[in-house]
Order: sequence, then C-alpha cells, then structure tokens
Amino acid sequence: MSATAVAAPAVHSLWTTAAAAPIHAPKIEYAQLSPILVVLGAAVAGILVEAFVPRRARYGTQLAVTLIGLAGAFAAVVGLAATGYATTKADLAAMGSIAVDGPSLFLQGTLILVTAVGVLAIAERGLEPQSREVPHVDAFAPQAAAVPGSEDEKAAARAGWSTTEVFPLTLFALSGMLVFPAAGDLLTLFIGLEILSLPLYLMCALARRRRLLSQESAVKYFLLGAFASAFFLFGTALLYGYAGTLDLGGIAKVVTGDAAPNAALNASAHGDALLLIGGAMIVMGLLFKVGAVPFHAWTPDVYQGAPTPITGFMAAATKVAAFGALLRLLYVALPEMRWDWRPVMWGVAILTMALGAIVAVTQTDVKRMLAYSSIAHAGFLLTGVIAGNKQGVSAVLFYLAAYSFVTLGAFAVVTLVRDAGGEATHLSRWDGLGRRSPLVAVTFALFLLAFAGIPLTSGFSGKFAVFSAAAKGGAVPLVVVGVLCSAVAAFFYVRVIVRMFFAEPRADGPSVAVPSALTGTAIAVGAAATLVLGVFPQWAFDLADKASVFIR
Amino acid sequence: MSGQSFLSTSGTEIAFVLVGIVALGAALLTVTTRQLVHAALWLVVALGALAVEYLLLTAEFVAWVQVLIYVGAVVVLLLFGLMLTRAPIGPSPDADSRHRPLAAAVAVAAAALLVTVVADAFRTTWITLRPGAGSAEANGIGLFRAWVLPFEALSVLLLAALVGAIVLSRRRAARPGVHEEADD
Repeated sequence: MSATAVAAPAVHSLWTTAAAAPIHAPKIEYAQLSPILVVLGAAVAGILVEAFVPRRARYGTQLAVTLIGLAGAFAAVVGLAATGYATTKADLAAMGSIAVDGPSLFLQGTLILVTAVGVLAIAERGLEPQSREVPHVDAFAPQAAAVPGSEDEKAAARAGWSTTEVFPLTLFALSGMLVFPAAGDLLTLFIGLEILSLPLYLMCALARRRRLLSQESAVKYFLLGAFASAFFLFGTALLYGYAGTLDLGGIAKVVTGDAAPNAALNASAHGDALLLIGGAMIVMGLLFKVGAVPFHAWTPDVYQGAPTPITGFMAAATKVAAFGALLRLLYVALPEMRWDWRPVMWGVAILTMALGAIVAVTQTDVKRMLAYSSIAHAGFLLTGVIAGNKQGVSAVLFYLAAYSFVTLGAFAVVTLVRDAGGEATHLSRWDGLGRRSPLVAVTFALFLLAFAGIPLTSGFSGKFAVFSAAAKGGAVPLVVVGVLCSAVAAFFYVRVIVRMFFAEPRADGPSVAVPSALTGTAIAVGAAATLVLGVFPQWAFDLADKASVFIR
Repeated sequence: MSGQSFLSTSGTEIAFVLVGIVALGAALLTVTTRQLVHAALWLVVALGALAVEYLLLTAEFVAWVQVLIYVGAVVVLLLFGLMLTRAPIGPSPDADSRHRPLAAAVAVAAAALLVTVVADAFRTTWITLRPGAGSAEANGIGLFRAWVLPFEALSVLLLAALVGAIVLSRRRAARPGVHEEADD
C-alpha cells in the first residue's frame, strides 16, 4: 500500500493530490475572511504611509489609518455575526483553513476592540517631558538602532524622530491574533502564532526609557518564543504522522475512529505515542503563549521590559488569542482525548494559579506584579478550559473579554505615574498616591479590585462564570484551589490599594502626568467595561453563550 | 507489506542509510569543532546530506528547496556573518561554554524521545514510495489549492519581519535641530 494514498478522500493532505489532475482554483470566501483582510489592508496602508507621507504628517495619518481599519474590521465582524455566521451559517472558509463560527467571531470582535483601546494608549505623546523643539514625545525609542546612551540616541531624540512603524506592526500582530483562534488546521494555527508573535518581539525592544531592559526582554521573548514554536511545529509533525491530516476536525475523526488513521502506522500500536506526544507538544506551545506555569518564565521580564502601552496590548490581546486557540484545539481536535489531557491540565492550572498568586505577593515592581497576576489569571482561565462543556467555553469567552479591558486600563494607568526617570514602577513610589491624585488612584483601585474578583466588577462575573462551569464539569477540587488562590491574590491587590490610600505620601514621590484624550479614553473605556460587565453582565453572558459552539 | 523484507535491501535503502550516517556525523562535527568556519562548512555537509535523503524519499521539490535555501542562503548568510563580525579564523577555544554537558544531555534526551516515538509508531511497517508524489507539480497544487491561505499568510509574516528588521536596524545620522527633514 502506498504511504501517500492513506488520507480519506474528503480530507486534503499535503502530498496526496494526483499529479496529473488539472489545477482548480481554490475557493476563497472573501466576505467571511473580511475582518482579517481589512486589518491586513490597513497594515499595508500603514507601511505605504511610512514610505510616502512626510515625517511631519505620519503620526496623524498612521493613527487615522489604524483606527479606520479597526473600525472597518469590527463592522465586518458585526456584519458576519448579524447575518448568522456565528450560529446557523458557521462554516470553514478558505479551503478549511479558517473556521468562521461563534467563538471565532466573538474573539475576533474582542481582539479588535482591545487593539483599538491599546492603540489609543500606544499613540499617547503627552506624557514624556517635552521641549519647545520637540513638542510630542511618545513611549518608543526615537531610533531603535542607536546604542543606548550614545550620542546618536540623544541626537535622534533631539531631532524629534519617532518610530511610527509601531502602528502597522500592531496591526500585523492583530491580524495574526485574528487568524489564531479561528484556525481550522494546524498549519494555519502555526502561521497565525508566528504572525502574532514576531511583531510583538519587535515592539518589546522599542522602549524609549530603560532601553537595555527593553532589549533584553525582547531577546528573551524571542528566544523562548522560538523554542515554544519549535515544540509546536514538532507536535504538528507528530500529529500529522498519526492522523494523516492537519485539519482539526479530521484529527478528531481519526481519534474517535470515524476515519482511518495513517495506514502506515503499525496496526497494533495505533500510534498512540504519536498522538499523545504530538498533542502534548502542541499544547506546550500554546501554554507558553498564555503564560501558564512551567512555561511562564518569560512573562515577568517581558512585561517589565516592554514599553508599557505595548505590555498592556500584549498582555490583553495575546491572552485572548492564545486561549481561543487552546479552546479550539482541545474542543475541536482532541475532545475525545480529554481523559488524557484533563489530568495534565489540572496540574498545570493548579500550579499556574498557585505560583502566580504566591510569587506576586513578593513583587515590588508594579509591572512585575501585574505580570504574575496575569499568570494567576491564566490559571483561572484554565479552570474554565478544563470544564469540558459548552458552559466552560462561554465562561472562558466572557472572562477573556472582561479581563482584557481590565488589563489594558491597569497598564494605561501605570504609564501615568512618573518621575524624572520615566515611569515610577517601584511599588514604594506609589505610597500615598490617593492623596495626591485621587482620580488616578481610584481608577487603579477599581482595576485592582476587578483583578481580585470583588463583586460589582467584571472580574467577579468572570471568575464566577469559570468556576461554576468547572464545578459543573466535575472539577470541584480545582474550584476550591482556585478560590483559595483568589484569596491569596486579593491580598496583594488590596495591599497596593492600602499603600495608595493609607500610606504617607513621599516628599520625592512621583508626579501623575495629565494624559491627553487618547490615554484618557483608553482608561475610561477600560473602567467603563469593568463596571458594566460587573454590574450588568447578563447580556455579555448571553452573547458568549450564543457564541460558544465550535464548527468542525 | 507486499512481500518486502528488511533483509533484501535495495540500493536505495543502502544509500539512504549511508547518507544518513554522513548527515549524523557532519552534524556532530558541526557542534564539536572548535573552528567556527569549519562548523559552518560541516553544516553544509549535514544539510546537503539531508537534501539527498529527501531526494531518496522521492520528495524532489523539497530536496531542491533544501539545497537552495539552507545550503545556499542560510549557510552563506552564516559565513558572511562570521566574516563581517571579524570572528577569528582558526580555533576559538573560548567558544565553548560551561553548559556543554547540559546542552549535550538535552540534545540526547530530545533525540532519544523523538526516535523512540517515531520508531514505536511505525515499527516494521513497509512504506512503498510512489515516484512523483513529491514533485514540484504535486507540491504546487497542494500549496495553491488546499494551503493557499497559510501560504499567503506567510508572505504577511515576511512583510512584518522585513518592516521590523528595518525598524530595529536602520540608522540615519541625526542632524540636531532639523526635525522635519525630508524623507530619505
């Protein structure tokens, strides 16, 4: 028997097409891909702006192109959802590469909104100290190639250069994120992963202040990310060896026995080792991106080193995209394997929640504390993934939407508290902030309470949803651990609030910069989403619930 | 399966094993030699041997891509990188770090895992190769039909990488005071 003729006829495969067949044009559903295409179009337009628009006009043009592109993409998502692509017309598009279904559209909509808010913070130019010659200074290095601290760098700063390429790079990252949770096969999943990661590695290296820390974080992120990608790719190869197809739905069929596995496999072994180790390697690659515990080591360093607006965007959007992909992989390709992956994921979730919450207590830097808090939240989200039921999917979707706006808002507030060296991220510097600038302190306290999961904030609704889904899915001990870890986590969130409101302000304490309308809007949207999803969560639950069915 | 046996080896199979030994030996020399340029040249041998293996498995298109991209472009880039950074020609004993045993242990463990998995999954299965299955035509049909979206998405990735590389590496001499200079 030929090794290459083993795939079921309905399942396309890399090497099986008959050589003599004429080439038929592929069928591409452009309308269903429109959110991704619009974002890519805006990104390419942004590159052309870099090339042809004079330096003076670039910032405004880039911001306009980016926001118009995001608005167009969001309109496309809403249009697709309104015409039933989330429910009745859900289908695989572009030769099975992209799944247009409820979870895809929900996450794509969330990602586009998150990016829009993130772009507002990225576009802020009013926080750094300015001079008459250089009236606008953003958070990014004026010339990334200049040696930190060199004469070149100072000259570039004096010349008022800015790296407006971050706008198209953000859009490229977003396009990868839109592909990632919607991928219908492992190859598209891998390429989505790469497209979302590469621009993020680059943007991590672009901080204006503390550039060595920023460059170190970018190199660390890149090397560890490349390592995770290698794991992912090898897992893909092993799963292909097992199933003879890369389609998620096709793999599920082989696992359940509805389709024949790769016939070259030994009949007695059925290649279970290939399936288990391949699946484990792919899940490892995804767990790296969500920052779950054995693969979390990059998170604190990268969150601390990256420019804070980028950290906010990355922390919120990467988590949404990566959890979407994890859900799709586990619920579409490997649902029948859940007796194998659930115990492992239990361990990962418990470790992630516990380590994130406990290590965060010892942190003295706001950005590092928020990084460990994001690790703990990855653990809470994993409990929803483990639930293994439809309620678990909708709970994770809701949690992602709620959590991402809180994160964006919190990091946007961090950009405001500054001293002569840039952002004052050491926690001791935040003493007494509530007396000096009550509004900023109250807003930050709101975000911290949402992280802690206090009722009437979106954090509470999200945690309630994932924990009740996990309990319903038979993971009660996990929920108990989750609640205990939430209590530990609440300790360090509340400690920051106590510092801000009840400690004596320092004489040499940081000042709070007055943001322009851009960062102001970002923080306001974050706070509004936190309150609305906390007080009136029902409509969002309904939306997530309607959107929680995957297409195979 | 069709009466083939592991005892009656054909010329192709003998060649496959021999070329495999060459690839393995060249790879070992790449990581153990103390001369950077030699390491790059041994890498050429290892990657070239891999290309021959692809050819023997009828994956002719992949074989030529391997030659063009890895042997041609990647190693040449590597050599240029060595020359441009004025790396020493000749032995460089300080290139070894003290993590050598650890790296060796990780490499051996990874290789053992992968070899075990693949050998366990396929065991004694006989796979008959079909000539033409790996031809440029078959690959092209696969790429531009079933895999057209990932293929196009990859070009987006390359574009993003290109823009990022320019952002990170382009240097212009800043002229203080001239902050609205014309585009270069």
